[in-house]
Amino acid sequence: MAAVQPVVTHGTGHSASEERDRPWQVVVWNDPVTLMSYVVVVFRRLFGYDLETATQLMLKVHVEGRAVVATEPRERAEVSVAQLHAHGLQATLARD
Amino acid sequence: MAEIRREGDLTVFQLEPKERQVLLEIVDRIEPMLDSSHWVSPRAYGDEELEREFHRLAGEDLERAREADLATLREGLSGPLPVRLGDPEVWGWVRALNFLRLALAEQLGISEDGWEEAYSPRQHRRPPLATLHLLSWLQEELIDSLA
Repeated sequence: MAAVQPVVTHGTGHSASEERDRPWQVVVWNDPVTLMSYVVVVFRRLFGYDLETATQLMLKVHVEGRAVVATEPRERAEVSVAQLHAHGLQATLARD
Repeated sequence: MAEIRREGDLTVFQLEPKERQVLLEIVDRIEPMLDSSHWVSPRAYGDEELEREFHRLAGEDLERAREADLATLREGLSGPLPVRLGDPEVWGWVRALNFLRLALAEQLGISEDGWEEAYSPRQHRRPPLATLHLLSWLQEELIDSLA
């Protein structure tokens, strides 16, 4: 499993409105405990992915240690990360 | 022996009273570990200020949701047998089981994939590891029932 490595986000030089509109990545990190089948059903439930897409993303998390599962405006991305945390998945936000 | 099957819109968990008692004791034993588990309460941001704000906005809700899922698991295990669960309750169970498994694995020092393969028959005598596998089996069966 890869350790969770959140991304530092200060010092971008963008205005407040630009910041608000910039997309953010929702990143899910691998852990050695969470079942693959669980990750797939959570991705389908939270993001509406079909089985094939959810499975591919799960495998990317498992093999590469992390995967971007969504790219969204910051507020929406924070909701997604909170929902992933509520399901026990390791998730962080990163600038797109 | 415990068995999980689907009956219409419900998931039915058939288990003996003794097995039910064992599961409730496992929940009691692991739940206190949740508070100190990094995996159970992961960070959203590396930046301290953003993380504090995220925690201020979402932290309490996340904690309440986790407690509700654990309560759903306990209530289900404490009711009549067999346990009959609608899909919302099954989701509560699988989330609660994931938190319990994360906390227990962290306590056991598991940090890399492949720990299941390293699980030799001799280690069956190591109760926490056997507990982790039991919870894995239960979670997997419940996930299958959702599919």
